[in-house]
Amino acid sequence: MSKLEIDWTRCDAHGLCARLLPEKITLDEWGFPLIEGRGLDESIIRDARRAALACPALALRVAR
Amino acid sequence: MTILSEPPLAAVHIYGEPRLLAGVTEAGPVDLRRHRELHGELPLRRRSWLSAALTDVNLRGRGGADFPVAVKFDAMPSGSRVSILVNGSEGEPASRKDRVLMSRAPHLVLDGAVVVAHSLGTRRITIVVHDSAAHDTLVHALRERRDPCKITITHAQHGFVGGEIRAVINGVNGASPVPGGRRVLPVSRGVAGQPTFASNVETFAHIALLAARGTAGFARVGSTEEPGTTLVTLIGDVRHPGVAEVPTGVPLSAFFDASGDGTVLIGGYHGTWVDSTDGLVLTRARLKSSGAPFNAGVIARPFGGTCVVDEIVEVSRWLAGESIGQCGPCLFGLPAIADDLAHVAARGGAEALQTLSRHLDVVSGRGACAHPDGSVQFVRSALNAYDHHIREHALSGACGRTPSTVLPLPRRIR
Repeated sequence: MSKLEIDWTRCDAHGLCARLLPEKITLDEWGFPLIEGRGLDESIIRDARRAALACPALALRVAR
Repeated sequence: MTILSEPPLAAVHIYGEPRLLAGVTEAGPVDLRRHRELHGELPLRRRSWLSAALTDVNLRGRGGADFPVAVKFDAMPSGSRVSILVNGSEGEPASRKDRVLMSRAPHLVLDGAVVVAHSLGTRRITIVVHDSAAHDTLVHALRERRDPCKITITHAQHGFVGGEIRAVINGVNGASPVPGGRRVLPVSRGVAGQPTFASNVETFAHIALLAARGTAGFARVGSTEEPGTTLVTLIGDVRHPGVAEVPTGVPLSAFFDASGDGTVLIGGYHGTWVDSTDGLVLTRARLKSSGAPFNAGVIARPFGGTCVVDEIVEVSRWLAGESIGQCGPCLFGLPAIADDLAHVAARGGAEALQTLSRHLDVVSGRGACAHPDGSVQFVRSALNAYDHHIREHALSGACGRTPSTVLPLPRRIR
């Protein structure tokens, strides 16, 4: 199953991921992503890839 | 039993048969001649022999991560380009075992590194040390020897997170000494970008013993599942404060007098507070399955009747300061946890405890290295082990007991 991975050394809390993928990602009180279960269903992979591409810090990725 | 006191080094105590600390006296390090009398000639071994022996004795890395050494060794390619990295940073502030080992038995560490290098067909060895005295001892020991290797001893000072192996490698390679965001293991890319067999100094010393004694000789003491001995740093209300060498498989109660408080910290400042050591036995696997991993081998026991809450707040504050600031949840979360804890200790009420608990959940599992998770483990287990006591602080403020002063903190480096 594909899953979401965050490179924490890159993430700068821009928060775009939570807007583009609210089903999976919320933000903590400092603006850093909290992922609800890392596994990705087929139905959501396209949206997850879009969110990963939109990350300004290149911190989010969809890994197999 | 031998008791040596050797300030400013930690006192040394040996339970059972001395191995790593054989021949150690107050006079100084074991020199090369004495070392060869004790351990024999340099025990060079073939790769296949060493691989089988490491597997047979189930040797685990002694820096804290507890990884099977044989698996790491087998993952290494052979050849003159690969490197050996000996990690003597000992970033864990409560630990003294690596410093004692390097300062007292430097040739055992060097033998281990040369044995591994030879078996992998390389001459490249790098040793990274933070402590000045340990560094000087190793440099002096190296001058006594004629090794078929190029051994570089590097003196570096990088704090707690900087002692993490990937951070050490980045430092050696001239980059900032911080762990990378992706999990690239040293066996695939380490020193100078080449495959690197990296481990803690104590691991290398055990490899030297194993190569010299063979599997059967090595396994003559200790538990059957993890034979041999281990070093442990003992702090506070213990029979022999300082560094001890002990056969694996002993009950933890061997370190304590029966009287006194039952609450003990196992595994240092990324470790776990337990409210009783009854039934706990010193093997890495069993401590891990008891929920209190041995990590870098620190056991601290506050004195009975003292209040350890302020010390826990101080350590938590220190851990927050040791965040190198790469990862948001650690950079913001650990100071929040330290603030919450201070608030709890100063009559913050049930609400403060709830906030603390929420922050511990939020930080958990989110970072590039083990620092946030280890720090959360330290605080969360303290809340469990000292449940009543901490609630008393949260609801009524200071408890009136004498403050504990057993947990050491270094001067801030960086």
